[in-house]
Amino acid sequence: MERDDGFNRFYKHAKSSSGLNIIHGGSSNSNNNNGIVSTDNGNAANSNAMPPPCTVREQDQYMPIANVIRIMRRILPTHAKISDDAKLTIQECVSEYISFITGEANERCQREQRKTITAEDVLWAMGKLGFDEYVEPLTVFLNRYRETQNERTSLRGEPVLKRGMDYGSSIMMAPPYAPPVFHVGHHQQGFLDGTTAMGGYLRDGSGGAAGGGSSSSQASLTNNNFDPFGQYM
Amino acid sequence: MRQAGTYSGILSGGISGKTGPHLLPLARIKKIMKKSGEAVKMISGESPIVFSKACELFIKELTQRSWMVTMQSKRRTLNKEDVASAVMATDLFDFLVNLVSESPLEMDTSKYS
Repeated sequence: MERDDGFNRFYKHAKSSSGLNIIHGGSSNSNNNNGIVSTDNGNAANSNAMPPPCTVREQDQYMPIANVIRIMRRILPTHAKISDDAKLTIQECVSEYISFITGEANERCQREQRKTITAEDVLWAMGKLGFDEYVEPLTVFLNRYRETQNERTSLRGEPVLKRGMDYGSSIMMAPPYAPPVFHVGHHQQGFLDGTTAMGGYLRDGSGGAAGGGSSSSQASLTNNNFDPFGQYM
Repeated sequence: MRQAGTYSGILSGGISGKTGPHLLPLARIKKIMKKSGEAVKMISGESPIVFSKACELFIKELTQRSWMVTMQSKRRTLNKEDVASAVMATDLFDFLVNLVSESPLEMDTSKYS
């Protein structure tokens, strides 16, 4: 874990510097102290003069604690109190949960020789790992999100500008007309392919109609076949 | 959480209105996903969004189960041992067993980000 890096580096450095005998506790100088090679574990076990382990938490590997606490409070009664160590523990559990699910989803992608983890993979992994009760509410959530994206792009009367995107190179760019993975199943305003969260559809449905069902709306920004909405709004 | 604007909302993956702002930061989720393994290469834009809701459900379930342990002990403060007990008692949380039984955390009382 990264939190131990500082500690390990210090240890190895101290051990391999010749002349630094302090870490060898009470061992005599007649040992192989010149040109110490840190291969032998015998000394290591006796080296008690180690700096205390640096357990500085790297915050970017966890969800912000304030957000975690806020969610906890929503479910707890008003009078409930939460100890600090409970907050930290749950914060860690969330990250573990994400890693756990992602690992399984990623394995599936590798088996199927796909490079991108999709929302569908995530949902599949949850079902497989026992979180099947989450799958339905998450599917509803995801569909509502896609609807929001559809509405957003369809109601706007101006073109969506091409800009740097939050997800950068990790956008899954499906080729046009590729069959979408998710089928939302309802159409809005007729000219939208309801399966994707993309904007930028032409009225006659040609060009860029499918950007992959599980790609985000960001994918639409680099769609070459994009036409301004102005022509049919 | 700040409300997403028309353009920035799409670009940052934020949503407002019907589904409300996300409770958990998408960029952070993505970072954690990438850290989960060397092999994780690309992540679709929707995956962190699914996770933001999933983590919310997860936190709620874990908290609820922990609180039940707290109540059984007739306490009002949910502590780490309650979380550990809930994890032990729930098959679904087997993957957390090692995490909750590790040595006590060094408590840094300064505010976290």
